[in-house]
Amino acid sequence: MTALRGAYGSMAVTGMSVLSAAGMGKDLFFAALVKGEPTRPSPVQDLHAFDAAAYDAPNIVEVKGFDPTVLLGDKGLRTLDRITKLLIVAARMCLHDAGFKVDGQWQKSEPTKVGFVCSNAYGSLEAITELDRVALLEDARYINPAKFPNTVSNSAAGYVSIWEDLRALNVSVSNGNPGALDAVGIAEVHLASGRADALITGGGEAMCEALFLAFKKLGALRSPGFCLGEGAAMVCLEPELSAESRGATILARVTGYGTHFAAPKDDALLHPSEEAMGTAIEQALESADVSAKDVDLVISGLSGLAPFDAAELGAIHGSIGRTANIFAPKKLVGESLGASGALALVAAVHARNGGGLGRMEAGHAVSRPRHVLVTSLGYYGNASALVTS
Amino acid sequence: MTGLYTRVVQSYRQGSAGATGSPRVFITGVGVISSIGIGKQAFYASLRAGRTGLSKLGAFAAGDLGRDIAGEVKDFRAEDHMTHAEARNAGRCAHMAVAAARLATKDAAISDAALGGPRVAVVMGTTMGEGALLGDLEGAWIKSGEGAINRADIPRYGSTLLPIHVARALGVSGLVSTLPAACAAGNYAIGFGADLIRMGRADVVVCGAAELLQELQFAGFVRLAAMAKERCRPFDKNREGLILGEGAAVLVLESEAHAVRRNAAAQAEVLGMGLTCDGYHITRPHPDAAGSIEAMRQAIARSGITPDAVDFVNAHGTGTKANDVAETKVMHDVFAGRRVPISSMKSMLGHCMGAASALEAAGCVFTLETGVYPPTIGFETPDPECDVDVVANVAREGKADIILNNSLAFGGYNAVTCFSRPYKVPELGLPARDLS
Repeated sequence: MTALRGAYGSMAVTGMSVLSAAGMGKDLFFAALVKGEPTRPSPVQDLHAFDAAAYDAPNIVEVKGFDPTVLLGDKGLRTLDRITKLLIVAARMCLHDAGFKVDGQWQKSEPTKVGFVCSNAYGSLEAITELDRVALLEDARYINPAKFPNTVSNSAAGYVSIWEDLRALNVSVSNGNPGALDAVGIAEVHLASGRADALITGGGEAMCEALFLAFKKLGALRSPGFCLGEGAAMVCLEPELSAESRGATILARVTGYGTHFAAPKDDALLHPSEEAMGTAIEQALESADVSAKDVDLVISGLSGLAPFDAAELGAIHGSIGRTANIFAPKKLVGESLGASGALALVAAVHARNGGGLGRMEAGHAVSRPRHVLVTSLGYYGNASALVTS
Repeated sequence: MTGLYTRVVQSYRQGSAGATGSPRVFITGVGVISSIGIGKQAFYASLRAGRTGLSKLGAFAAGDLGRDIAGEVKDFRAEDHMTHAEARNAGRCAHMAVAAARLATKDAAISDAALGGPRVAVVMGTTMGEGALLGDLEGAWIKSGEGAINRADIPRYGSTLLPIHVARALGVSGLVSTLPAACAAGNYAIGFGADLIRMGRADVVVCGAAELLQELQFAGFVRLAAMAKERCRPFDKNREGLILGEGAAVLVLESEAHAVRRNAAAQAEVLGMGLTCDGYHITRPHPDAAGSIEAMRQAIARSGITPDAVDFVNAHGTGTKANDVAETKVMHDVFAGRRVPISSMKSMLGHCMGAASALEAAGCVFTLETGVYPPTIGFETPDPECDVDVVANVAREGKADIILNNSLAFGGYNAVTCFSRPYKVPELGLPARDLS
């Protein structure tokens, strides 16, 4: 491990949190990874994000047992939408897991030194729909001004800074599926520039009726193996030496990042690009100074959408080899879009530290893999990859 | 073997990797779609003349909201800037973004070949992206049911798409990223773009922001009691609030080595960026403006200068009571009594939300190129609570070597970028973390 250290240290992961279809908390997520059971859609009566009674067996899954009041209490939640509550809970869990807070109190740091970088693809949809309903069915003069800020894309991330008192930078990123991996790439830029000592970094996505309908209308919910989900996951990123100086446990190091865009040859908007995914992987390996043969595990973004899975798989085979050991967390907890890369990164750290993986897409699980590649392919020709070591 | 973070710190310290070791980032192209002009020259002429872009709203009926003035870009036609297929794939927000990007790359006289390849990135900011397109989708669904939703329109919605459309139009294949940072989104995109070049991740970054006027957003600001009736009058005692606007501005940023290699004209230089979050209120700035003050101090320190080197501040200047008072506190605190000229382009453009600070960055390039501070029009009565040197009503000539672009946003975001005439600062600050 000392070989990984340069003069200023590597970027270390010192805390994690997950809200997923498995429940609230990383331990339930890890247990689901070990168990390896395919995603089971939530029964209609267990769906809370919207009234799903009108829909016949919607193929979606929510964060099991999500109850923000457990951690946040019941004051001040009335005007917050689901994505905001997911992000605040996940950020609070991560700050505590990283040891920055104990029982809500700052330890060995201060609010101006810690920031937030968060991916989200469609977070404001719930709020926009709610206000659109009032404007269209009643009158725009009656929309609730207290809920209007929720229609702004970065509002949920902003609320995290308010609730958790994070006063270094706050960055929202909206890059679709690879967004949370890109959030790590963005965090690295800001940590290196000295704008923060630590950044709670990850992503979130919330189920809502408009999101469900969009995937339903596009036919995605009929794809075998695909289940639209939601969730939030965060990692605490900080320079290794900074983490050591405050006595934090280093769970893993992020050593490589790559991202690429490839346009289709025609006018199609949706574009599963093997070329983009392959180039992103090669960039990530190069920046980590890791050769493909040393990648013992790939935590992929395979979700059950055939053309996208084929492109991602093709790129992994092309870059790592046809014998690559491939795992697909989305097959166990659903497709959580802007959050998915963060869930995958947490799964990579879990595996890196000896955690089991119960249902491989290909190959076999390796105990304590040397390097884990995390891949994510976007719907529009963008793709990103990370290496954890 | 070194960690990713270590490599990034080293490249940040050394400047653009594989280049000359220079951390300098130049602006070589500016593209603008605005209510006061399409294209840089028309925009510049309007800034100099203090022309208003505010007019009676035509994009949609504001109904009984009691407000109907906006900074609408009425003479923008997508087909003037893109193919039919490109226009069909996108909404109006992306149309303006692509048009501004094409104007910027044309202004930069950069070849298609130079824009291709993985060393070119696109970073775009916005607040609500294709809000109008979503409004249509939701309108059909809410009024007529699921069957009325136009399936083909669904993939066209999403802020993710803004840089994708720009990258497709320009042939870019590097990093594409959307930073939805509300009213500070332009500064976020430009500052991050400069970071990417300094860290050696890109040689060229096409960056900026776009926003369109949309019904729900318009109604929301009325309901927040933040919207003025007819005029936006920043720093005026009788100011009544903001007026919404729309538009897009895109800059072409290049590393020094790349710009020199192709003999490009550097119009301005991007210096440091300051970023903080208030963590106080979702819509209101913190009354003591501590986060905003810190962001401006960071931008100055990261530029390798001291506050006395700053010649002008392009204000956030929304015209709301709270914003302008907070911004005055920032000016007093950072400049310690020195009356640095300040002006708000929102008096002409309205508040273009996500696009605002990108348009204001284009205004900064105007000031650096011409030595002219754009005016704050409609200024009548000084406000003792806003005791700043407002460039009132008429453009003013003045020293313009180093200037700041200030922005605040929903979510408590504060972002400040510093720009200069090329090579004006001998040695940039750009402090990278030193943990050794």
